[in-house]
Amino acid sequence: MIQKWERAVPVCEVPIWTRPFQVLCGLGALAVGLVTYRELAGLGPASGMNDAYAWGIWKTFNTMTLTGLGSGGFAVGIAAWLFRRNHLHVVMRTALLTSFLAYLSGLMLLGVDVGRPWNFYWILTPWRWNVHSPLLEVAFCMPVYAMVPLLLENVPPVLDWVYEKQPQYRELVKRAEKVMVRFYPWIVGLAYLLPAMHQSSLGALMLLGGDRVDPLWQTPWLPLLYLWAAAFMGFSCVAGTLLFCSLMWKRPIDLSILSEMNRITAGLIGWWLAFRFADLMVRGQLLTAFRANIYAALFWIEVLFLVAAVFMLRDSARQRDARLMFHAHLVAAVGGMLYRFNPTTLAFQPRPGAFYFPTPVELLISVGFVSLAIAGFVFAAKVLAILPAPMRLWYRMEGVTEKVAVFPGHAEEREYAAGD
Amino acid sequence: MAKEIGRLKPTIGEHLNYCGVSRRSFLQLCTALMVTAPVGLSLTQKANAWQVAQTIGKAKRPSVIWLHFQDCTGCSETLLRTSRPDVADLILNVISLDYHETLMAASGAQAEAALKQAVAENFGKFVLVVEGSIPTKAQGQYMKLAGRPALEILKDLGPKSAAIVSMGSCASWGGLPSSGPNPTGALGVDSIVKEKPVVNIPGCPPNPYNLLAVVLEYATMGRLPALDELNRPKFAFDRYIHDHCPRRAHFDAGRFVKQFGDEGHREGWCLYKMGCKGPVTHASCSTRHFNEIPDVWPIGVGSPCVGCTEKAVAFEVPIFEVADIHAATPPEALPLINTRVGTIGTAAAAMVGAIAGGIGGAALMASKRLPGKQAMAENEDEEKIPPAGRE
Amino acid sequence: MAMTRREALRKLTTGTASVVATGAAGGAALSGVAVSEEKPQVRPEALGLLYDATRCVGCQSCVAACAKANNLAPDMRVNGLHQIAYDLNSTTKNIIKLYKPADGRSYSYVKQQCMHCVDPACVAGCMFKALKKDSPTGVVTWTAKLCVGCRYCEIACPYHIPKFQWEGFNPKIVKCELCKERLAKGDQPACTEVCPKNAVIFGNRGELLTEAKRRIGESPAKYFENRVYGEYEAGGTQVLYLSAVPFQNLGLPDLPEESVPQKYLKWQKRVYSYLAVPAVLYASMVGVIRGNWKEHLEHMEKDEEETGLRPQL
Repeated sequence: MIQKWERAVPVCEVPIWTRPFQVLCGLGALAVGLVTYRELAGLGPASGMNDAYAWGIWKTFNTMTLTGLGSGGFAVGIAAWLFRRNHLHVVMRTALLTSFLAYLSGLMLLGVDVGRPWNFYWILTPWRWNVHSPLLEVAFCMPVYAMVPLLLENVPPVLDWVYEKQPQYRELVKRAEKVMVRFYPWIVGLAYLLPAMHQSSLGALMLLGGDRVDPLWQTPWLPLLYLWAAAFMGFSCVAGTLLFCSLMWKRPIDLSILSEMNRITAGLIGWWLAFRFADLMVRGQLLTAFRANIYAALFWIEVLFLVAAVFMLRDSARQRDARLMFHAHLVAAVGGMLYRFNPTTLAFQPRPGAFYFPTPVELLISVGFVSLAIAGFVFAAKVLAILPAPMRLWYRMEGVTEKVAVFPGHAEEREYAAGD
Repeated sequence: MAKEIGRLKPTIGEHLNYCGVSRRSFLQLCTALMVTAPVGLSLTQKANAWQVAQTIGKAKRPSVIWLHFQDCTGCSETLLRTSRPDVADLILNVISLDYHETLMAASGAQAEAALKQAVAENFGKFVLVVEGSIPTKAQGQYMKLAGRPALEILKDLGPKSAAIVSMGSCASWGGLPSSGPNPTGALGVDSIVKEKPVVNIPGCPPNPYNLLAVVLEYATMGRLPALDELNRPKFAFDRYIHDHCPRRAHFDAGRFVKQFGDEGHREGWCLYKMGCKGPVTHASCSTRHFNEIPDVWPIGVGSPCVGCTEKAVAFEVPIFEVADIHAATPPEALPLINTRVGTIGTAAAAMVGAIAGGIGGAALMASKRLPGKQAMAENEDEEKIPPAGRE
Repeated sequence: MAMTRREALRKLTTGTASVVATGAAGGAALSGVAVSEEKPQVRPEALGLLYDATRCVGCQSCVAACAKANNLAPDMRVNGLHQIAYDLNSTTKNIIKLYKPADGRSYSYVKQQCMHCVDPACVAGCMFKALKKDSPTGVVTWTAKLCVGCRYCEIACPYHIPKFQWEGFNPKIVKCELCKERLAKGDQPACTEVCPKNAVIFGNRGELLTEAKRRIGESPAKYFENRVYGEYEAGGTQVLYLSAVPFQNLGLPDLPEESVPQKYLKWQKRVYSYLAVPAVLYASMVGVIRGNWKEHLEHMEKDEEETGLRPQL
């Protein structure tokens, strides 16, 4: 029996209120307090944004970049449901939860970032929309995605918890599950359509930056590149999360599933790089990558990270090296984040003499909201059945003996002692 | 002081003739009036001084009764402190100053009688000029003339006049006697007399030509000039000193006096930083100087304006306290096509470094505990593959 | 899992059908959209300004007049004394800047304010049409009650004109609106009325363009490249510029003839037109998922039997 992930199991052995969790909650609380300051004093005093760089790190990093990382539900889901990589079903809950928390955190910070949020109610009056605006597409699609299909997909672990801990509601849970089963394909389809739309629209946002976005990034294919980057970033985030959680909470690692994820991610990145370079050549901008300036340097750093990631992913899968896998996914995630962040800020020069750097308050709010998302994940993973594990962990949690079907019709009993 | 020829009151022109005032002097006075009030006064809306002289010449000498209350007599002095004696004389010959405690020869009961006679003869036609504020506390006992409180005198004579001119800041809004804590309850004329039109000419002292212009406008045209919401004639008080200040170019170019006697002071630079209240003071001093000598006015002689016409400024804001500018204008310097915007703070840079380094470092350190290739190869036997964290 | 021939055929048909359908819908959408991609036209009653940098003396009366007409508090943040703005900002809708080259000789002033583009990028990006082109004048105006404060207009504008109030909790987008209140009363914008040299004049854009070309015709060597800036730049602007020095030195960027929305939002419009492509994509995905879902449910039932545990959705 190879170490296999078979079922989602909550992390029961670890207490919830640990020191790291306290730090995360503290950072989150600090961020919420600073948000109050931002609401009262205005965006100017609370951030380093100015009229040249009107978008600071909140929109561009937390919303545009981190939701790329939070595309695990979308990317892993498509691999599992559309391309029938059925082994990946067991990591779906992790992927969906990371997605949900990343989107929630990103959308809340988007709400903090806009200057006149009380006028957002016009989102409910479609006849008032400027349907050609990419930002409108994002503003509608992302909340709908987070609050409808993604939320619904994250409901099953909660239902399981209710079933176990609140037996009086079992009938309700069963009925809810029946409804979900009926409509699941429609929900899941929406969960792939909507991210496809808004992750590409996030890319389309910087199209209006025109030639103020450096030509190494500015391309009509920006939406597709953003969407594709979201795909591999999502994989990296999920795999990285799984490895890190296994590390932190001493859980078994299923290398076959991780190797499969590695292969998919490496393939996605590889073809993405090929497409990127092809696009540069077709637009005649390949030579601009060899100028001696900061933009060329940024470009090559991005490419370097992603190329390294491809090799590291392949090697770690082949050599079944969990440490290298973790590094590989880290590198891939950083490369993807760089790609999505660069055209918005670092490779965006609105006019000569313009400069932007976030202020400490801005940074703390950004970090704080990410901490809240991580804290949410940690809490959920400990209380709900999210992270995948072998069956024996489930039995250990329940304190039962396992009935193992050695061959059809013959059962053997095996007891699990604590500490297995 | 009124001289009569026959039984008819003479016109101003006839009277000046009689007094032997030269035509030249009179024309000079008319020119001065046109400069005082180039706009806002119908008397001076003429093509040249000759026409102004004709208009004034035909009018009767207006009877002016001048009352002093809580005053320093500065506003009378300003009428007399002309650079050449005959101009003062001229002014006093153009108007018929029928009662003036400082200038009249009479005193005591004779003076009282003169007042009664002047009021009776010109009932409803004289211009009442008031100098000094009126105390109102303790039934006005703080200033009494011939046993009567100023309040009573004003309430008696005010309604009998044709119009009242408050000469100086004290009569206009209370002036120096009214500065905090205003122990006498000093008030301006228009707080007490409501039935007659009151023209305020604030200043400490004001420019005498402002008074002259108002009185002559009344005498020749039969009306008072256009007034602002504080009853000040617009032709003199519709602009800030700052707007017409000869030193404005220095203000706009940022050349300021930093200390009395320094280089800038000698060069005649802007006195804003020495506390000049020009930007918040309405008055005509920047265009109409004093004593008929150009540049004889506070800023001209190197002393910052103290805002003597404004109630909110004059004896309220310290002389050397810098004024607030409410109506700013662009300076001489122009911005360049692209100016730098956005900076990087050290704290922020340090924070970004810390965050990136912290996360990266922590992740790498933590990942050391993940089973590496070695650990995996040694443990191909499935059961013994260690969970993460245990080597 | 081994597939029966029937299942394989069914899946193949579904797959092909969805691809074909997407293609057809896409084609229909694209053709339907072609009509709306015509080059944006200048409205016949479009109003604008003509600024002739060779006539401007840098007196900045227009700056003061604009501030007064628009009830803008003077920006005294630099020294507390003068109204000094280094650039357009939340209290400055109009500014005069100086181009001073190193040789100190061929200097020029330039007046900066909203260009009132024929096909504005800011309008294309604005989510709820807070920024829109008024009819029939074509003036680009901002409406407070529709604005969310997302600042996409600041990112999109190639002339970097819209500015945001960074202080306070009721921030606004501030930019020249050609004094729309004065226009409504039949007056000129404040800047053109006060200019002592008629360096900036107001009128119908077509007439101003004619006038500009007339001036170029009269003095052939005077104006840079003998052309009017704003005639074609980024689809054309309603504010036109004449200058003796290169336009780029005055901060007027070198832009192609296609407007920003035309050039960059083409595919966005096509892909989403009638929501055809998304709809077909959704239908095909749901079709595939349903097939796999049935299989998945069977797996889950089997696991439940084997282990006796509730299946995890």
